[in-house]
Amino acid sequence: MFLIFALITLIGAVALTFQRNLVVAGLCLVLSFMGVAGLFLLLANPVAAALQIIVYSGAIVVLLLFVIMLLNEHQEEPASRRRPLQRWGSVAVLLVLGAGAVRLVARSQVLRTLDHAPLPPAMTLDSLGQALFRDHLPAFEGVGLLLLAAMVGAVALVKRDL
Amino acid sequence: MTFLCSILSGGLPGYILVALLLFVVGLGAVLGRRSILVQFMGVELMLNAANVALLAFARFRGGDVQGTVFYLFIIAVAACEAAVGLALVVGLYRHRRSTDTDRADALKL
Repeated sequence: MFLIFALITLIGAVALTFQRNLVVAGLCLVLSFMGVAGLFLLLANPVAAALQIIVYSGAIVVLLLFVIMLLNEHQEEPASRRRPLQRWGSVAVLLVLGAGAVRLVARSQVLRTLDHAPLPPAMTLDSLGQALFRDHLPAFEGVGLLLLAAMVGAVALVKRDL
Repeated sequence: MTFLCSILSGGLPGYILVALLLFVVGLGAVLGRRSILVQFMGVELMLNAANVALLAFARFRGGDVQGTVFYLFIIAVAACEAAVGLALVVGLYRHRRSTDTDRADALKL
C-alpha cells in the first residue's frame, strides 16, 4: 500500500517535469498531491490527508489551472537559444542530490532505530483542535491575519489601476 | 537488506526517501523548465516533500499533535504564497506578454 502511494506521488511529479502541455502538468500535480494525501492516511493522520486534498488539490491547483487558462499559455514557447552548460549542470546536480538522498537514508542508523519504536494511536480532529485552540491560539489568529493580508495584496497586484 | 524490507513495508526510511526524492524532482522542475507556471508547481512539490518528512517524523517519534498543528500553519502560508505568486505571474504576463522566465531578464547584468 505504501509502495502504491509512493509511486503515485513520484510518477505524478516526474510526469509534471516532462509534460509539455501546462494544463496536463497541472493535472499531474493533482495526481502527486493525491499520492501525498494517501501517504498521510498511511501515517494514521486522516486530518492532514483531508486538509491536503481540500487545500492543495482543491484550492491551490484550481487557482493555478485558472491562471493557466486565463493567460492562454498552454504550451511552453521554444527556447530562444540553447544553454548546454546550465542544462547538463542542473542534471548533474539533481543526480548527485538523488544519489545522496538514497545513500543517506540507506546508511542512517537513527532512522532504523526510530523505525522500531512503538507506534502511537491515530491522529484525531479532537486532539488537533485542543492543541490548536489551547496552545496556539495567537498563532492561529496571526495566520488568519496573514491570509487576509495575502488576499488584499494579491488583489492590489492584479488590479490595473488602483 | 533490512533497508529494502523497511522501505517495502512502509517504515520511516521509506517515507523519508519519498520526501527526499519528491524534493529532488520538484527542484528538477524549477531548474529544467522555462515556464514560470511549471516552476511554481515545482516549488509546491518541494513544499509537499517537506510536509511528508514533517508528518512522518511526527508519527514515528511518538505521534505528537504539534506536528499536525505545524502542518496546518504551513499549508495556510502555502495558500498565501500561491495567491500572491499567481498574482505576480499575471503581472509579469501583463508586462512581457509571456510566462517564459528567459524573457524576464531586465535585472540581468
